[in-house]
Amino acid sequence: MSATPPSEPSSPKEGLSRVPTGNAQLDAILGGGFPAHSINIIMGEPGSGKTILAERLIFANAHDSERPILYLTTLSEPLEKVVHYLQQFDFYDEEKLTSGAILYESIAQELNERGIAALVPKLKEVIKTLSPRIIVIDSFKAIHDLSTSVPEMRRMLYEVSGLLTAYATTAFLVGEYSEEQISTFPEFAVADGMVELARKKHGIRDERYLRVLKLRGSHYMEGLHAFRITSRGLDVFPRLTSPEVPHSYTIRETRLPTGVVGLDRMLQGGVWAGSSTLLEGRTGAGKTTLALQFILEGLKRGEPSLYVNFQENPTQLARTIRSMGWELEDALRKGLHLIYASPVELQIDSILLELFRTLEEKNVKRVVVDAVGDLIGAASDLPRLFSYLYALAQHFTVKRVASVMTMETSSLGANPMEGQISAMSDTILSLQVERRDNHFRRTLQIVKARGTNHDLNMHELRITAQGVEVE
Amino acid sequence: MPEALAAPTTNGKMLILVVEKDPHVRELEAHFLGEAGFSVAFVADGQSALEQARERLPDIIITEILVPKLDGLALCRQLKADPTTRGISVLVFSILAASGRAREAGADAFLMKPLAEHRLITAVQGLLALRHSPPPESSP
Repeated sequence: MSATPPSEPSSPKEGLSRVPTGNAQLDAILGGGFPAHSINIIMGEPGSGKTILAERLIFANAHDSERPILYLTTLSEPLEKVVHYLQQFDFYDEEKLTSGAILYESIAQELNERGIAALVPKLKEVIKTLSPRIIVIDSFKAIHDLSTSVPEMRRMLYEVSGLLTAYATTAFLVGEYSEEQISTFPEFAVADGMVELARKKHGIRDERYLRVLKLRGSHYMEGLHAFRITSRGLDVFPRLTSPEVPHSYTIRETRLPTGVVGLDRMLQGGVWAGSSTLLEGRTGAGKTTLALQFILEGLKRGEPSLYVNFQENPTQLARTIRSMGWELEDALRKGLHLIYASPVELQIDSILLELFRTLEEKNVKRVVVDAVGDLIGAASDLPRLFSYLYALAQHFTVKRVASVMTMETSSLGANPMEGQISAMSDTILSLQVERRDNHFRRTLQIVKARGTNHDLNMHELRITAQGVEVE
Repeated sequence: MPEALAAPTTNGKMLILVVEKDPHVRELEAHFLGEAGFSVAFVADGQSALEQARERLPDIIITEILVPKLDGLALCRQLKADPTTRGISVLVFSILAASGRAREAGADAFLMKPLAEHRLITAVQGLLALRHSPPPESSP
C-alpha cells in the first residue's frame, strides 16, 4: 500500500476538504468553505452580487496554471464586460490571469450554434485539456433558458452532473434563479450546495442578505446573513446566534458598582457581573447620563468599557463627558472604546460584528447600548432584531460582561418589543420626570432586579456637575 | 514513466485493465492513462475482470469496489490467491473511503475518487516502480 498518498482519507468523515471563499465570515457560515468536488448553485436576482462572490472565490483559490480555475461565461454578459468590471476590485490580481492560474472563456458561440447540447462536449474538452480545479459557469440560467424541453434539460444535467462528479473539480453554477424555481428547475436536484443572495428594500436603503439553502454533508449557519458589496467583494456579517451557556454557570459572583452611590445602595452593591440592565424612561430623564456614569465608574476601576451609541457623534460625546468631569482623551486612555453609527446609515449586523470584535480584542467588562430604540427603528425585521438582542444578552452573560441598554418610553404608547426586552433584562430601572404643581423632578425606581432583594421605592434623581445622584 | 521500468506487453505499452461501470470515469481514465502511454482495456464487472486477468495478464488492474457480480475487494482477494495472477498490481480506486479494507484484501494501492489525473498517474507509476525494483536483499 506504499503508493497510497498520505492525504488519502481513511474514513468518509475525513473526506470533506473545503474550497475557501476568500471571505472568513462566509467561510464560517459555510462551515469552512464549499465542500471540494461538489456542484454548487449561486443564485439571486441581477445585481445581487453573485458574480462578485464567484470572482472573489476564484482569486482566493488560484495558485498555479497546472490546475487552473476556469470561468466560463455563457449568454448573459460578454466576456469583455465581465473582465472589465472585475478590475475594479481590490482582490483583482492581473498576474493570476496572465500566468494562466485563472482562465476566462466564453462558450456563447457554441451555445448559439448547438444549443444546450454544446455544454457536455465542452466540459469534457476543458477537463481533458486544462485539468481545471474549479469551474464556474456564469450564467447557468442562460443555458437553462436555451433548452427546448424539460427532458432535454434533464438529460443534459444528468450528463453534466455525472461528469463533474467523476472528475476532481468543484463547480459553481451561477444564475438569476428565483426561490420559486428551486422546486421546478432540475439543476437544483443535482446541486450539492445552494447559496442565495437577496436584496430587500428598507426605507430609502437596500439591505442585502445571503442564505445557505443546502450544503450536502456539511453543517452550516442557517438563516439570513447580511452583507455589503465593497471593493473587497462581499463584506458578510454572520447572523448572531445564542452561545451555549454551561448548565452550572451562574452570573451571581461579583457586583459591579454603578457609579451612583444611592443606586448601589438600592441594589445592595451594584449590578451582577454578566447581567443585563434596561434603563427606560422618557427624553430628558437622565438615561444617557446614568449609562455614561456606569461606564466611567468601570474606567475608574480599570475595567475596559464599551459605549455604543447612535445619536451623539464623538464631538458631542466629548462635550457630554466633559460636563461629567472627564476629558474624552483621558477616558480613551483608561480603556473607553466607542462605537458610533448614525441611525440613518445603521446596519445592525455590521454594528454587531464590530461590537463583538471589540469585546473579544479589548477584554471589555462593561458595555452600554444607547439606545435600543434606534436599533428598533433601523430594523426591517423585528423578530430578527429581538433574536439578535436575546443572543447578544446571552453572549454578554457568557463573557461576564455587564450590559446596560437604554430605551426611550413615550406617552404615545409602548415601543414595539418593549415587553420582550423587559423580559430578557435582569434589572430594569425606570427613570421618570414628575410634575408637582409647576415643579418638575427626576425620579428613579427599580422595577426588577433578579437575584436581589432591592429597594422598591421611588427616589429622586438629580443631575449635577459630578453626574447622577440618587437620594 | 521511466522507460527502464516499462516491460512492454501490448503494442509496446504496459497494459492496464480497468474495472469500472461509470461511463464518465471510464472516459476520463481512458484519456489520461492513454495520454500517459498506457494501453487500457475496460470491463464493467468483477467476474469479467477475473477472466480477463487470467487470459491477458495485465500489468495493473484498477478497480472500483462497487462493481457487479464480483466486488472489487473480492476480485482483489481472488487475484492475490491465484499464483497465475498474484503478480498483477491492483489499485483500488473507489468512491468508498476503504483504504484499510483494500489493504486487507491484498491491494497494492488505494485511491479515493473523484479522479485527478496527477494522483492517478503517480499511483500507477508508483506501482510499476515497485514491480520492477530489485528485491530488498540485493539492494546496496
